[in-house]
Amino acid sequence: MKKVSFLKIEKVSKVYQENGAESAVRVLEEVSLEIKEGEFVCLMGPSGSGKSTLLTVVGAMNRPSEGRVVVDGIDVYGLSDEKRADYRREYLGFVFQQHHLMPYLNTAENAMLPLATLKMSAKEKRNQAMMVLERVGLADKALRLPNQLSGGEQGRLAIARAIINHPPLVLADEPTGALDTRTGREVMEVFLDLNAQGQTIFMVTHNPDNAALAHRIINICDGRIVDEMKEG
Amino acid sequence: MRISTIALANLKRRKGKALFLTAGISIGIGTAVALLSLSNSIREEIGSQLDRFGANIVVVPQSNNLALDYGGVAVSSVSFDVKQLKNQDAVDLHDIPYRDRLSVVSPKLLGAVKVEDTEALLAGVNFDDELKLKRWWQITGRRPVAEDEILVGYEVARVLGLIEPVAMAEMTSHSSHGSHGGGQFKISRERLQIAGRQHRVTGALAATSGPEDRMIFASLAHVQQLLQKSDQLSLIEVSALCKDCPVEDIVHQISDRLPHAKVSAIQQSVRAREHTIERLTRFSAVVSIVVLGIGALMIFTTMMGAVVERTKEIGVLRAIGFRKAHIIRGLMIEVSLISAAGGIIGWGAGMLAGWFALPYFAETEISFEIQPLLAVGAIAAGLVIGIVSSFYPIIRASRLDPSEAVRYV
Repeated sequence: MKKVSFLKIEKVSKVYQENGAESAVRVLEEVSLEIKEGEFVCLMGPSGSGKSTLLTVVGAMNRPSEGRVVVDGIDVYGLSDEKRADYRREYLGFVFQQHHLMPYLNTAENAMLPLATLKMSAKEKRNQAMMVLERVGLADKALRLPNQLSGGEQGRLAIARAIINHPPLVLADEPTGALDTRTGREVMEVFLDLNAQGQTIFMVTHNPDNAALAHRIINICDGRIVDEMKEG
Repeated sequence: MRISTIALANLKRRKGKALFLTAGISIGIGTAVALLSLSNSIREEIGSQLDRFGANIVVVPQSNNLALDYGGVAVSSVSFDVKQLKNQDAVDLHDIPYRDRLSVVSPKLLGAVKVEDTEALLAGVNFDDELKLKRWWQITGRRPVAEDEILVGYEVARVLGLIEPVAMAEMTSHSSHGSHGGGQFKISRERLQIAGRQHRVTGALAATSGPEDRMIFASLAHVQQLLQKSDQLSLIEVSALCKDCPVEDIVHQISDRLPHAKVSAIQQSVRAREHTIERLTRFSAVVSIVVLGIGALMIFTTMMGAVVERTKEIGVLRAIGFRKAHIIRGLMIEVSLISAAGGIIGWGAGMLAGWFALPYFAETEISFEIQPLLAVGAIAAGLVIGIVSSFYPIIRASRLDPSEAVRYV
């Protein structure tokens, strides 16, 4: 796993200028934030507050209108498009709310999807996939298709895919949002387990119970950070 | 797990769409292959027919005295020529290296003769060879066999009153009636005096609009005797099979063998053949281009639809670190596999279609050859059409901004 001294978001603003609209929509307003290695940070806020936009900005997928995102001293948006793709592959793991698994690939293949572009032997990739599936408790379901897994299992598979590259930072956008309470808890337990093993996690959630499990809770409203709570 | 694994899995998942695209390319390639192979075979047939039907080389004596004309070919006034063509020349002509390609050699002696009160052109021919050469001739009656038997051209027969029209009722009861333009005729007078000797008219030619309409035909030996030109020839008509060799080569070889004769190719025949073949090839090319164009358009629209449909998937792949080049590679693998399959199936289907269709287009039995080069061309064409028509949709997919795609994630 690459070591990240810190992830620093410096005065990030995001303005959407819709086609034909006279006025621009400011989704983020000078957001500044630091995430330390090994931290579990939850981002909370009402719908439309800019949580998901901030997550995609941190995820090097959504160029901010102003401000910088710096990882290991590198300005992420100063990189070329292709380098930014490499950055996403090497530094980040994404867990999406709808999981977005490839329905035509089995569990093991879905897990090793980020390895598809790497020059590794098929055996190495498979071993790595089995290790990560073991870690999330899906090793015995490696050959199943996503539609043959329960909601909780799909969530765990999405996490397996996010961490197979050993990324320094895992970004999760409401990973339990589409799950019932029991399966949501099941997925959260995987995150807690990962974090306990040193994985840095930045998670967007609506669920205060999930947020309470994090080291730090950041509340965002109308694109601004309005509150920050630390554990204990 | 490689990019190709994803591409293959995607093809398996979207079997219907993959089959649809493959079918589209197959139809385009198949049509082109069928037309090309058909036109190749028909070209062969036309070439063979044009080579066989009618003379394409004429051998005449070297002469400066042009007195008579036969089919656009000047026939010298025999009595003043120094270097005469002899019967042996028609035999010697078979000694040339390309002798296997000589289909028909028809020697002739021509001369103006007095026929009753008028003058006509009398031709001495070997009827076996002449009838092979002039397959379009329609004879009312029968071909001459005996020495004093003659075959008359339509105009000669009409002017000399050798034929008369046939009434409709008679036409149904008699089978040996000739036709001229829109009507029918029969031989009404069988005796004709030529150069003071009686001859029997055994047959009359239907109108051809050619020089033979104004000619009388008898056996070569008889005409040589009648015109007192024993062993002499006015010209030799040659039908050469020049499908795979330039007619000029045969002309040169005959010229070398008969240095005292003037040998020339009938350019009209060669040009007509080239023109016919060119038109056929052009027609096939245009139809193939249109069908392939429609196929390409179909692939383009299907791929554009596929890109829209897969925006989410492409967005996820970009989000987890796939470069644009990786997206392009994956989609290119899919398109290449579909296109290659389309090319192979199209080639097979085209060859089959051509094979089945050939008897309906060809008049004679000709061979249908499997051309391995055409298979390579079909696969290459399938790949080019598939890749070119998918190029823009694929590039567009690779340029999907993850920030756009993440609207879905």
